[in-house]
Amino acid sequence: MSGQGQVPAPSDEQLRSMNREQLGRLGTQLDDVQLVEWGERYIPGSPADKRAERKVARWFLLAALFGLAFVVVFIWWPATYRTAASGEQLMYALYTPMIGLTLGLSILCFGIGIIAIARRIAPHEVAVQQRHEGMSAEVDRQTLAAEVMDTLDKSGVKRRGMLKGTLALGGAGLGLAAVVPILGGLIKNPWAKGPKSDLWVTGWAPVNGERVRLTQVDGTPVRPSDMAAGSMMTVFPGLPGGAKMSDSAVMLIRLRPNDVVRVRAGQQGWQYGDYYAFSKICTHVGCPTSLYEQQTGRILCPCHQSQFDVYDGCRPVFGPATRPLPQLPITVDDEGFFIAVSDFHEAVGPGFWENGKQPQWKSEPKEEA
Amino acid sequence: MSQPESDGPSAGKQRGTRLRKGSKLFRRTSGALALLVALFTVGLLYAALSPSNAPAQAAQAASQSEIDAGKALYQNSCISCHGANLQGVQDRGPSLIGVGSAAAYFQLATGRMPATENGAQMARKAPVFSEQQIKQLEAYIQANGGGPETPTGDLRNMNDLAKGGELFRLNCASCHNFTGQGGALSQGKFAPPLGAATDLDIYTAMQSGPENMPKFSDGQLTPDEKKAIIAFVQTVNKEQIDPGGFPLGGFGPAPEGLIAFVVGMVAIVGVTLWMGSRA
Repeated sequence: MSGQGQVPAPSDEQLRSMNREQLGRLGTQLDDVQLVEWGERYIPGSPADKRAERKVARWFLLAALFGLAFVVVFIWWPATYRTAASGEQLMYALYTPMIGLTLGLSILCFGIGIIAIARRIAPHEVAVQQRHEGMSAEVDRQTLAAEVMDTLDKSGVKRRGMLKGTLALGGAGLGLAAVVPILGGLIKNPWAKGPKSDLWVTGWAPVNGERVRLTQVDGTPVRPSDMAAGSMMTVFPGLPGGAKMSDSAVMLIRLRPNDVVRVRAGQQGWQYGDYYAFSKICTHVGCPTSLYEQQTGRILCPCHQSQFDVYDGCRPVFGPATRPLPQLPITVDDEGFFIAVSDFHEAVGPGFWENGKQPQWKSEPKEEA
Repeated sequence: MSQPESDGPSAGKQRGTRLRKGSKLFRRTSGALALLVALFTVGLLYAALSPSNAPAQAAQAASQSEIDAGKALYQNSCISCHGANLQGVQDRGPSLIGVGSAAAYFQLATGRMPATENGAQMARKAPVFSEQQIKQLEAYIQANGGGPETPTGDLRNMNDLAKGGELFRLNCASCHNFTGQGGALSQGKFAPPLGAATDLDIYTAMQSGPENMPKFSDGQLTPDEKKAIIAFVQTVNKEQIDPGGFPLGGFGPAPEGLIAFVVGMVAIVGVTLWMGSRA
């Protein structure tokens, strides 16, 4: 320490005779800190001293009260929903603000109390610290490095090859044992199920040869007569949990009989009459594209304003999306409910990821429906 | 009833004497009476057994004057864009055949029709026609091609608020916003805010699909489900006491994030400056 030069190190006897305060003073001096001025804020026991104590204690008392109030509000406040018509909604509406208010005030009062200790109770002092060089002295750095290397040299391991090898091996084995359980859970083969891997199929793939019905969110199967011309319905695979399948949401759209519709080549007959089914997942980054304009036939994505044209094979006509919304081939089963003829014929959403396995949609010619 | 009772004896005596005199006449009259009674009964039975026809004709007859009045209004205010026979005019107005009284009610009661100028979309304004005139126009439109009819009665299903909310978020919120504040569509069109919409406005809008809004037929959303959505919009969405106290227009993350950033940043910088000045 550079400060050691200015303050002489005390002898063992001197050290033993020093009390705690003197030792503390010596420590600051050894660190090159000088206490210029120091003193109690108030005379201990004086009215001013007691007043200061009360002022600080008040904040901690408030913190405790608000903390208790938080617990009371959290447990007993009427948090059940009430309609506005019942006239009892105010208490319900105040539940969240009250929780925030009580906990927030409790934390705030505690913090103010801590600061108040520093301002009103703690003694006033002025201390000066000498500025130090940033780096250790040259001699300290060189000797430390030499000590470390010397210890290694003399440890006896350096000349024993077998010991070095087995030490490394043991460390590696232990490290592997630590890492495998953590990383192992992250490694999955997305293609393990071959052509039926999750990334290749959606909920619309026929189950055991049986084609999947189009159902509403509550599982009700959909008939053509359920929809008026110029309507759009979000449908899901008629399977258990179908409404939760993230890649399977489909917009079933009924156009008008006199609408001129063009479909993409190779997709003739995928519609059923005026009913067309398109994936609801935007091909840009996968938002739900459910803003359907029934007169212009535009489907808008709310995230980045991509627009798709239903009358033109759901081609993107505006915004960042580059591929059309995939069309789901549909028909009607014996009982008159909509079913999916097959799964999608291309990747839904931001398809993974222009990997060359999908055709080049953009260059494709269009044909009349 | 009292009349025949009072002079019953003399009349009965007269008739009795006459009928008894010629038994032929008695048989003929009774036969004719029986035939009359039988015919009357059959007529009553027919009227009772074919209810669909008879009341419809009655209603038709009752509102014929309404239809005529509606036609007169139509020919004054609507004909230039929708055509003499409601068939529509190319590039001006769509055909109104089969749109139903629900569509007529929505467009007229929200003041969107008659249109005052061309634009991306008609805006809500004070209605031009009186309630009675709107009824007459509704009757006229309904009489030409039918279509969804304006509902009557209570349109709020307060027992299914949660389901109404779920259906609102699935079917309506994508355009009208979770808070019902509306939002932008393509090329100047927009989904209007629901603040001013009445129960009947919302119901008829779902039935008729005005402008670019898709239609929601009764097969897609049952009347009960429509009423649940209305109950949700009108009570939970509109009358809800805002727990935060200041919803910032209910437009979502953009204004909220902006305010949080601007106000929060200014506050943090201010506190930092204050602390610096005290050090």
